[in-house]
Amino acid sequence: MKIVVGIKQVPETTNVKINEKTKNIDRRGINGVINQYDRHALEAAFEIKAKTNAEVIVMTMGPDDFVVSLQEALALGADSAVLLSDRAFAGADTLATGYVLSKAIQKINDVDLVILGQQSVDADTGQMGPIVAEFLDISQVTYASKIDIADGALHIKRYLETVEQDITAKLPLLLTVTDQANDPKYVNVVEITKSFEKPVITWHATDLNLDDDRVGQAGSPSIVRSISSPKAVAKDNHKLADNPQDAADELVKILKEKNILMEDK
Amino acid sequence: MDQKTISQEILLRMVKSFVKNEVAPYDMEIDHTRSYVNDLLAKVRQNDFLSLMLPKEYGGAGFDGRTTAKVINEIAKGNASLAVTLEGHFKSIDQIVKYGNDELKNEYLPQAKNRIVAFSMTEPSGGSNPMGINSHAEKHGDKWIINGDKIMITNGGLAEIYCVLVKTAPTELSIFVVDNEMEGFEYGKQENFLGLTGVPVGEIVMNNIEVDDSHLLGKVGMGKEIGDSAHDDARVLMGAVLTGIMEHELDLVTDYATHRKAIDTPIIQMQGIQRKVADIAISKETTKLLYQKAAWMKDHGQDYEEEAAMAKAYGSRSAVKAGDDSLQILGGYGYSLDYPIEHLIRDARAMEIAEGTVEKMRTAIALKEAESRA
Repeated sequence: MKIVVGIKQVPETTNVKINEKTKNIDRRGINGVINQYDRHALEAAFEIKAKTNAEVIVMTMGPDDFVVSLQEALALGADSAVLLSDRAFAGADTLATGYVLSKAIQKINDVDLVILGQQSVDADTGQMGPIVAEFLDISQVTYASKIDIADGALHIKRYLETVEQDITAKLPLLLTVTDQANDPKYVNVVEITKSFEKPVITWHATDLNLDDDRVGQAGSPSIVRSISSPKAVAKDNHKLADNPQDAADELVKILKEKNILMEDK
Repeated sequence: MDQKTISQEILLRMVKSFVKNEVAPYDMEIDHTRSYVNDLLAKVRQNDFLSLMLPKEYGGAGFDGRTTAKVINEIAKGNASLAVTLEGHFKSIDQIVKYGNDELKNEYLPQAKNRIVAFSMTEPSGGSNPMGINSHAEKHGDKWIINGDKIMITNGGLAEIYCVLVKTAPTELSIFVVDNEMEGFEYGKQENFLGLTGVPVGEIVMNNIEVDDSHLLGKVGMGKEIGDSAHDDARVLMGAVLTGIMEHELDLVTDYATHRKAIDTPIIQMQGIQRKVADIAISKETTKLLYQKAAWMKDHGQDYEEEAAMAKAYGSRSAVKAGDDSLQILGGYGYSLDYPIEHLIRDARAMEIAEGTVEKMRTAIALKEAESRA
């Protein structure tokens, strides 16, 4: 069984600055880390690997220094890594990125399962999983919060806003996982050193049989015209009673007044 | 990027995350309970922190002195006690690596992945004056018989393997490696110290412990040289601990001074507060540069005794002063046992004494300065 995990290196800080000219995230001087949801995607792959002895290949698209995150994934337990790096990929939106990722996954061949985090914490679109699944023309299950493998099929739990779903899905499949899916482990200090024995391959645009019009800025239909942070505005502050029972009663009363809770029938 | 840079970045990412989730939230509890709560030591072992600078041939990660010191710095930001426990382990491993014979290394270094190693010099009759000790080893045939009492050992009681300074003749100092499974080894009294309260500091008693020549570090008579080497290692890492303490203090005071208002103005806008905050930042950065320079010199095989002494002497006094300034900025909160500033002062104060007093550091620095001009 072959699993590809797609990861993204994102800024460590939550205080992200935006480049005024490009309207993209300004990554200068900010340390990168593996996107938090992708740590859960990796852990999900490692749990399946423990049961099936699957091969786990970690993949990312970005500049050469993203290799740090790939190496970290190798130290965590991935078997090999692929870096997709080319100046031609610069300025790619989710569509153009998803196109390149899917071409790289096709090049690996015979991939049974693709796992991604539900979204990245910097761009927050949540689009990458569905886009890659469409390009690969395979089934997809997004927001997986519990994942198990048995009899060659995946058994997945999704907790959506109003429903809980139990899904059984056949392979090949693309999954995006939530932060409830598992508890990612820390990198083991000694495994960091050992991880350099594992292969890291770099693929450039010319290695992937790409349609030039679909990569980088040329292949990106979305344009960011402006970007801003929502202002935190405090309003309608109301201190509840100190006693928990009184506070609960008071809260229920307020919620009913605002029609957030329905009156008892 | 080369392999070394990538490894260091991955390691520091992990350490920051580990400190944020597993160490920093328990800082006050560790201080109050005088123990590593949250199964911290089990987590430290599980993630192979004890093997950080252990050479790869003995199953370690083989990180260099600078990286080790940076990790200690990061951990100290979350809890200085844990950083000092690791410092005590690393400086001891370093002496076995440097001076141990192959038999000793093969026996103890693989064990150091899980068993903490300590270095013990002080006795009731002498600390900074090593010739004042009474512990001794006598040769009987091909065995050494060791007797004595070692006190105030960093990680004493927690560590299982000990490098012990003893006399092998009235004016001859040597160091042997013993462990807690040997006949005649006993744990003694635990100290009740003012600061760094998470670190167990205790006594071991040696009653006719029998070892062969392989347990001797270096050669007979090299006790002072090896002791000095351990001190130099420890002082660099203490510079890193002190930097971490001052970074912790800066986090607390800048957050407080930015949000605390007087006359509708955040107090960070007031010059009296700004001077204190700036002084803490200058002290932090100076100590960081000193320990990083000393660690760099160590990694490059240079004599770093003076720089190590400077990192500890300057860093410890500065961190105590920075703690006092921080306390003043936070006012009543700074003076409260329910807030961390007071224990950061107690923690920093320990390092004006441990691993050689600041007075002894100044002697070393002055003599080195004179020597370099002779």
